[in-house]
Amino acid sequence: MRRRAGLGAIQKHKLEQEKYKDKGSEIQENLFEQMTKQLGVLEENLEEFATKHKNKIRKNPEFRRQFQEMCASIGVDPLSSGKQGFWSVLGIGDFYYELAVQIVEVCLATNYKTGGLISLDELRTRLIKARGKGKQHQEITQDDLIRAAQKLKILGSGFMVVPVGKGQYMVQSIPGELSMDHTAVLQQATQSNQAFVSVSYLKRELGWEDERARKALDHMVDQGLAWVDLQSPKEKLYYFPSLFNACIDSTIS
Amino acid sequence: MSTSTSEWPWQYHFPPFFTLQPHPETRAKQVSAWKSLILDYCQKNKLYIVDVREAHQLPLFHNTTMNRKLDPSVIVSILSELAKTGNAAALDKAKNRWEIYWHTLEEWASMIYDHICELGMQNSVLTLFELSQGDDVQSKEFSGMQTDVLVKVLRVLENERKCELILSDEEQGVKFF
Repeated sequence: MRRRAGLGAIQKHKLEQEKYKDKGSEIQENLFEQMTKQLGVLEENLEEFATKHKNKIRKNPEFRRQFQEMCASIGVDPLSSGKQGFWSVLGIGDFYYELAVQIVEVCLATNYKTGGLISLDELRTRLIKARGKGKQHQEITQDDLIRAAQKLKILGSGFMVVPVGKGQYMVQSIPGELSMDHTAVLQQATQSNQAFVSVSYLKRELGWEDERARKALDHMVDQGLAWVDLQSPKEKLYYFPSLFNACIDSTIS
Repeated sequence: MSTSTSEWPWQYHFPPFFTLQPHPETRAKQVSAWKSLILDYCQKNKLYIVDVREAHQLPLFHNTTMNRKLDPSVIVSILSELAKTGNAAALDKAKNRWEIYWHTLEEWASMIYDHICELGMQNSVLTLFELSQGDDVQSKEFSGMQTDVLVKVLRVLENERKCELILSDEEQGVKFF
């Protein structure tokens, strides 16, 4: 014979529920504690690892990248200020800060002719030339440069890494941010392999309206990034000295 | 004439270099590049006179490879800039004919006077022909100097009382002190 549910049964059920709940949060807390502990251990290990392989991290670009990835996967940024005491002892931060300063130097040295835009490849070539002949000075990867350049963001909008597609990047070293449209224009100019674009080119490639293309291009002229050519038989062309090979290759004028 | 590509700066192959730029900062860079290019070109080719009306016959102002020309009015404005530093002078009111001084008249004057002192020719008389075409000056940069320019240079020395020009119809000479 089945018992009918009485008050007692309801209370009992409620009690059980509460117990489950308590137990649940207890388990959760334990788990959280354990995970924090584990992460702490992991971070400690990572620090230990970094100390042990300090020189290798500084000298070997592939190793450096993997180390950075490892750090990122557990949410540790060796360049962030949080643990600066420790990481700065390691000199990993220094490595990137040094690079950042060199990036600024190269940008300033080329600004007068490029108007403040330089491709990451070109930046790398010039930077390596300036760093001296030692092997550890030479092995600087694109990845290193992007990391270092991103650190320069704290200086305001003066320095930006702009992806222009196909794994290519440009570093902008003038005040004033580039909007999505301007970045798209740069991408087109890079991909055209001709260092120039035009209103009709943008209309065709990006499906833009006349007005939008003209506005974006004129803005780049106003920023000193683009030069206009009025002698093309078809239409007004907008050239980017920072993408023009003869300009990039010239060391003097 | 130097037309080989290696002798031109990169700007010469950059099509918009031949269009006056609307953006002030870019234009300043452009004009300054044109100024040095003009002086370099004239120096290499010993070109003392430029006629703006015929400027497009010079590869300097007309890049035939990419079919770009510098507009005559732009040429005049750049030459006017050069005039401010004593590196050019208009010969007519319409500003068509210009003398180009890759060395200013003062610089030329001291070069010539140094040469005279080296040879110990103070107190002697030379014809302008000797001074610009003579054997003694073959190695000098001022050899082959256009007579009108030479006279202007010597006028500078004359003002410093370092020479006196003797200009008659038959003979053009100069006495150094």
